Amino acid sequence: MKLYIKNFSSYRSDKEEIDIKKTLKQKYKYDTRRQDAFIHLAVYGAKLLSEKVEIKPDDEFYLTSGVGNIDVVQRTNTTVYENNEALKLFDFINLLGNTTSYYVASALGLKSKNIFQISDNFTYINSLISLYASINNSKKDAILCAIDLLSEPPEITKRVFGADEVQKMCSSVNYQKFSLSKKDAIAEIEFDAKIYSLEEIKAQLVYNNHQIETSKTKMFETLASYKVNDALKDGSDLVFIECFEDRYKILKLKSLR
Amino acid sequence: MASVNILDYEILTSQGDLKESVNKIKDDKTKISFRKNIPFYSFEEKITQNQKSIYDALKKLISKIVLKLSDDSKKSTALLVGTSIIDWNLVDAINSCAYEYKKTSYNSHKTSIDTYAKNLSDEFGLNGFTMTINTACTSSANALLEASNLINSGIVDNVIVVGLEIYLPLMSDGFYKMELISNTHAKPFDKNRDGLVLGEAIGAILVGKSDSKWSLLGGFSNCNSATITSVGASGDECVEVIEEALDRLKLTPKDITALKAHATGSISNDEAEMNAISRVFKNGIDFTAMKPYIGHTIGASGVVEIALFMGCIDGGFIPKTLFCDESISKTHMPLTKHKECKEGLFMCNYFGFGGNNISLVIEKKS
Repeated sequence: MKLYIKNFSSYRSDKEEIDIKKTLKQKYKYDTRRQDAFIHLAVYGAKLLSEKVEIKPDDEFYLTSGVGNIDVVQRTNTTVYENNEALKLFDFINLLGNTTSYYVASALGLKSKNIFQISDNFTYINSLISLYASINNSKKDAILCAIDLLSEPPEITKRVFGADEVQKMCSSVNYQKFSLSKKDAIAEIEFDAKIYSLEEIKAQLVYNNHQIETSKTKMFETLASYKVNDALKDGSDLVFIECFEDRYKILKLKSLR
Repeated sequence: MASVNILDYEILTSQGDLKESVNKIKDDKTKISFRKNIPFYSFEEKITQNQKSIYDALKKLISKIVLKLSDDSKKSTALLVGTSIIDWNLVDAINSCAYEYKKTSYNSHKTSIDTYAKNLSDEFGLNGFTMTINTACTSSANALLEASNLINSGIVDNVIVVGLEIYLPLMSDGFYKMELISNTHAKPFDKNRDGLVLGEAIGAILVGKSDSKWSLLGGFSNCNSATITSVGASGDECVEVIEEALDRLKLTPKDITALKAHATGSISNDEAEMNAISRVFKNGIDFTAMKPYIGHTIGASGVVEIALFMGCIDGGFIPKTLFCDESISKTHMPLTKHKECKEGLFMCNYFGFGGNNISLVIEKKS
């Protein structure tokens, strides 16, 4: 499967310290009410993308995450079960995964397909596969958002990401706009549905002239999306190998700049 | 738009398995129960809100489908889940470290809401591609369309699409707080309707390219609602997805034999949906609702209502709409009696929270 990348946006909290809510309100005149930090992070990434590429109302939209909005689950859990207080209306609404994708769609003016989804092992690569399958049928362009928000305490995120206790974590949101057309593309990305064994993956390492990234420790679950954007920023090629329980998946990125 | 065939389907609802549910509908014997004094369609055998109980229920249901697959077919079968339930692994992690008095020693495993699908795929020897979609009421309907895309793009041969929703006090409280819950019954399209009744259900539909009497022709899904919780009263957003689905399938309203409406029984959404039905199907259409029989099963409703509807058609009838005595439309009335029907083209609509709307068309050939 091959897709062309029209442009991208990236934010990572350990590289850049920004008050996202304030930036959304002041720079983008965005109404942040009724939303929370997870939604704000997703919308912020969307706004960055919209500055770099034309967004069309019929662009399809996929949003994926390692776990989703941890904060709202924690907040709800604390309110209802720890404090025995009534569920707050907007916490209830924000509990639904597609609330975040709704706000992103509204912020970008999208009126198209809109899917919030999580895959347990390879959520970014599997979302690319879903996205490819969709636009292969619809012939539209599509936007993919990959997002992880570090919750407080960070141990919650570490526990559900399978991370070491001492692992440093951060928040990150990464977007790419994809097309089946090469026109105006900055890169092409190839991937397949196959899950590779270690032996099979070793055979892939013949791509010695590429930058090879492996990830066994992640500061956030959707690291693959960030790595793609990092290579796009540099205009470099990339082979990214993601590993989970001795299963591997591969992404190959080729710059067209 | 290429179609896929519906090869098998199973459900578990408050009324029992597929056969029991269909028979109770046919014989007017469906029953409603209560949770915390609020009407709710509960499983007869309780599934509790923890990972093992949910996993075991899913495994039992899906095994009925998987056991009929050859080893080769299993290796090219993906598993997609549509649900809006809470991720209990995440709740466990929160309870283990967010509150000092509950703190436990550090322990970490990669988990997510998709862990059910991943573990089921591993246990049944499926091909390893799993995905869990949460688009509220449209979750498993969207999963069906995504499955169709995966098959038509040649990525997998088959997909098991699962709809999952179990009783969750938080969800019930949320809908109650929004004043969307009826104190009696869901009365879709009735002048005296006063809200929806939630229910729990799980369902699984196997789609693929092998021959079958049933097929999913395709559909259209988007996110274009007036507000985050409802579509506009005019029904414009509903009309848009219905017409786009028909257009993509090169069908006209006259081609549709009958329609399974979303029909929650809520004041505003029923009004919008009825406006849409009367605008698109100007010359009338047989339409009905499944929610008065099994409740609004939110994320599961896509798969469960389609499977139940197919079960009724296999049983030779389109079910009537329970509790609709006086339609909100002067020109369009949902079915008031079961109607004999064994084949045809059927539209299944879902208009949900988060702005997600979807219209699917299924076909049963003689």
